[in-house]
Amino acid sequence: MAELEVEKLTLRFGGLSVLSGVSFAVEKAELFALIGPNGAGKTSVLNCISGLYPGEGVIRFRGKSIAGMRAHHVARLGIARTFQHGELFPHMTVAENLLTGRHSRIRTNPVKEIFFSRSVRGEEIAHREAVEEIVDFVELERYRNTQVANLPFGIQKIVGFARALAMEPAILLLDEPSAGLNRDEREDLARFILRIKHELGIAMIWIEHDMQMVADLADRLHVLEYGRSVAEGSPDKVLKDPRVIAAYLGSAAR
Amino acid sequence: MSSREPRASGYFRSSYDQGLRLIETRTQWTSLIAFLLALGAFPFLATSFQLDLACQVFLAVIGSIALMLLTGYAGQVSLGHAGLIAAGAFTAGILFKEFGAKFWITIPAAAAMGALIGLIFGLPSLRLRGLYLAVSTLALHFIVIYLGGEYETKRGFSTGIVIDAPRIGDLVLRDRKIWYFVLLAFAAVTLLISLNLLRSRTGRAWAAIRSHETIAEALGIGVAGHKLLAFVISSSMTAVAGALFSYYRGFVSVEAFSLFLSIQYVAMIIIGGMGSLLGAILGAIFVTLLPYVIEYAVGLLPNARSYAGMLAAFNYSAFGIVMILFLVFEPQGLVGIWRRVQNYFLLWPFKQKPLGGGRR
Repeated sequence: MAELEVEKLTLRFGGLSVLSGVSFAVEKAELFALIGPNGAGKTSVLNCISGLYPGEGVIRFRGKSIAGMRAHHVARLGIARTFQHGELFPHMTVAENLLTGRHSRIRTNPVKEIFFSRSVRGEEIAHREAVEEIVDFVELERYRNTQVANLPFGIQKIVGFARALAMEPAILLLDEPSAGLNRDEREDLARFILRIKHELGIAMIWIEHDMQMVADLADRLHVLEYGRSVAEGSPDKVLKDPRVIAAYLGSAAR
Repeated sequence: MSSREPRASGYFRSSYDQGLRLIETRTQWTSLIAFLLALGAFPFLATSFQLDLACQVFLAVIGSIALMLLTGYAGQVSLGHAGLIAAGAFTAGILFKEFGAKFWITIPAAAAMGALIGLIFGLPSLRLRGLYLAVSTLALHFIVIYLGGEYETKRGFSTGIVIDAPRIGDLVLRDRKIWYFVLLAFAAVTLLISLNLLRSRTGRAWAAIRSHETIAEALGIGVAGHKLLAFVISSSMTAVAGALFSYYRGFVSVEAFSLFLSIQYVAMIIIGGMGSLLGAILGAIFVTLLPYVIEYAVGLLPNARSYAGMLAAFNYSAFGIVMILFLVFEPQGLVGIWRRVQNYFLLWPFKQKPLGGGRR
């Protein structure tokens, strides 16, 4: 069974058709890249999966339909995501951001928290330890107690990535994780993505504009143009597809 | 969240448990104990007038911490704070007048009433934000004041409800010194509850909702539930402050709870510094004492008597000017000034903090 199946996903805002009949399936531990020109609807696909947009069609997570589910319920099932601009909580430290990512895994209730009972303290410590593992994984040790607002953009993107990872997801939705990163940071990111795939076996849907990176890393590609699926397959095949080249460069350029 | 700065160099944590402690170093313990001793000694040295001021400050501290949780941490604007204080005061007053209820019944009853009102008036927050939400909380104020006024006139207490001094066992809370310690205890408990909530899951969820609602939702945080929780907890604390206020004054009347009181509470958290409990406390002290300082200052002017009639006008305009000055020159409020001073001494002889990394 596929980890995530999307069938005939359609999204309209009034008269504007954003997605029309997008279908794909992602397997366990698969790095599935979603590419396409600006405005093709890549982020909208992620928003539909995470329950932020009301898409029509079928979205199944491990065979169970999640279409129409509220965003926080989808997240609790184990579908985590990052955002294009990081969208972190700027007043919090890196560690606190990651702890916030673990929200649905922390088992306390407000009454116990008012007294900060032994069980609350125990949970806080256990989850702080789990956060430290993620900090270690993405090599953010230097910054763990720094306020996010004081960090450079590249580091912030990695923190956003780590926050999604802290949710211990089954599927990771990455919205342009490399945008705004310099070459070194991109190489780090590529390393983290590969480690997640091989060591943690998490399926990833990865929106990316850096074609070199996609060609090097992705298992499969899915190309969108004007909200429609144009092509799907292995990178070397898809990137040579004339329809894909036309979508990116315009047909007259050939 | 990172409002606790280290007090001394060379302190390193060696367990996560240490990071969760509210008081970590020996210096912090020493200063806390010294502070508590000073607070404990104050009533025996102060005049009756100064004691009254301290009691007013404690009441304001409870209210402003409650509003800080709601607005400064969870990001939900409210202009209904005076209404909630009135609701707590009237709950205590009516229960006392109608049923002769005791202190230990009326205070929890006020808390429950506050929670209920918070739940109802938190509902608009699921749809409305910012200014629109603030306007919807105004409705709360007018409904409570209307109902309170109706009660007063229908039952023939048109000048207000007189409440007897409460008893705890054989102890009658009439003496200001006793009141001082009771209110101090309530303020301290409010502070402790807030600190505990803020350093755990709920506090982080509130902060997340304040910065990005959609992102919080996508991280698995039930936004609606946590917003309502913020309203319930904040309103409950505020109503308790209202009930205490009614006992302290021995009198409840709608006149005490004007819209200006709500604005004063908003001013407390802005002047104190948004998103900081210390800010809530400093703001409460500042706004409570400001009118008395102005009165004193006017008294020093030559020909003071001729200005006496204008004192109220002085008060309002000074209040407005102070608000504007803070918004323009010190948006981080009193707590921002406090941190700057603290950093100056911590870093001396250097001027800048090291970038990134290093310590917490």
